[in-house]
Amino acid sequence: MRYVIIGGGVAGTTAAGELRKLDSSAEITLISEEQHPLYSRVLLPHYLLGKVERDRVFLKKETWYAEQEIEWLRGEMVTVVNPRNKFVGLLSGREIEYDKLLITTGGHPRVIDEDLRGVSYFRTLDDADHMNQLFLGRGSNARGGIYGGGFIACEYLNLFAHFKIPTTLAHRGAHFWTRVLEPVSGELIAKHLTDQGVEIHANAPLQGLEGDKELTGFVTSKGRHEASIFGVGIGVAPDLSWLAEAGIETGFGIKVNEYLETNIPDIYAAGDVAEYFDTILGRQLNIGNWTNAMSQGRVVAKTMVGERTAYEMVTSYAMNVLGLDMIFIGDTLKAVADQVCLIGSIETGGITQVHERDGRIVGGVCLGRNTDRGAITKGIKEKTPASEIINTLSG
Amino acid sequence: MPKIRVVVDEDLCIGAASCVTIAPETFQMNEENKAWVLDHGTEPDGHTYERWMEVTDDEKENIILAAQSCPTLAVFIFDEGGTQIFPEM
Repeated sequence: MRYVIIGGGVAGTTAAGELRKLDSSAEITLISEEQHPLYSRVLLPHYLLGKVERDRVFLKKETWYAEQEIEWLRGEMVTVVNPRNKFVGLLSGREIEYDKLLITTGGHPRVIDEDLRGVSYFRTLDDADHMNQLFLGRGSNARGGIYGGGFIACEYLNLFAHFKIPTTLAHRGAHFWTRVLEPVSGELIAKHLTDQGVEIHANAPLQGLEGDKELTGFVTSKGRHEASIFGVGIGVAPDLSWLAEAGIETGFGIKVNEYLETNIPDIYAAGDVAEYFDTILGRQLNIGNWTNAMSQGRVVAKTMVGERTAYEMVTSYAMNVLGLDMIFIGDTLKAVADQVCLIGSIETGGITQVHERDGRIVGGVCLGRNTDRGAITKGIKEKTPASEIINTLSG
Repeated sequence: MPKIRVVVDEDLCIGAASCVTIAPETFQMNEENKAWVLDHGTEPDGHTYERWMEVTDDEKENIILAAQSCPTLAVFIFDEGGTQIFPEM
């Protein structure tokens, strides 16, 4: 059996390792756009904060691929998938045949139109190395700017605070995570950040950058803001353009069922690129997080060798921004909830949102209320009525 | 049964809870959103970030799987002789 995996991140590499365990005679090819062996994107902030050495971000040694007899094509891109003749075409011109194909190409950060020295994105190890250079180069006179109101903006906030860089943050929406958070939850975060000394501008779309080659500031609808390092975190989206001809059904990501199978036989997708059917939540959704990607890599390998296995997990994502813990669990989009109930308040320093659909809890957000996590996760898994969870948490 | 020592580095732990998903008998999140180490769902001598425990080979495999799933490699596992089994050195 010949397996080809496009994408060398955690979903693809985990799947490659599992395939080897499940099928010792399989031919496995792993095509990776990046040059590095598998590393943890989640460890990149730890590396920049000096909590771990750069070497520690790697999860696989360069020798692992050969030891596992996995053909590892790095620095390569797939430009075409041909399901009829079952091959993929690389940018270098080579064509690789497959019996089963797995797509794990992840997400790509959305970018702003302009670029100057000092502008930074935060997705890859190369991005982190670049940022490290910026921190070293700008020294104690650095002035930080951040554009965005999501997880990457929070990572920048933590980094700038660590390096004692005064920071101005602007985002387009009224508050952080406008599609997820109720206004009062957004207010809690904004208040926390302001209390920590961050200058925040809400409803402030970016209008441009200032500087000649070297960044000196950025301009939003709220005015001009000084900055020598500018972190952009305006979301991540899968690049699906190269799949246009393949006939694979796509939405925001590649559409797959609970077995992570696409509409085309013998083609699968997992991780941040997949828009999978979540059996617990009862709808198809795209979740970009590490645990999800790794677990899907494990599960899809089983299905690919013929042990058809459904992916089932209550997804969650946690992070701490300048001392405030935030946990997002399950289906947190407000647009697909019938109702969002709030527990706690700004005054008490913690708010939990309980998201209800068809009478049951489907999601939750805990801001400064970590202990609510267990009940929410269990409630989502067991399809508990939202009212029961709300009673438990309010008690 | 093999005896292992399981340690969570609280400074590295970010509360992703992947360990809890895979091995809930060994890991549970606390109020600081970090993972306590449990011995088969129990906490003799109270909450702790490190603990010796006797496990079956299957349980040991699953705990290693949980450690491997941690995105910040905050879970360390040692064998009876004190050798670090995971992360591999």
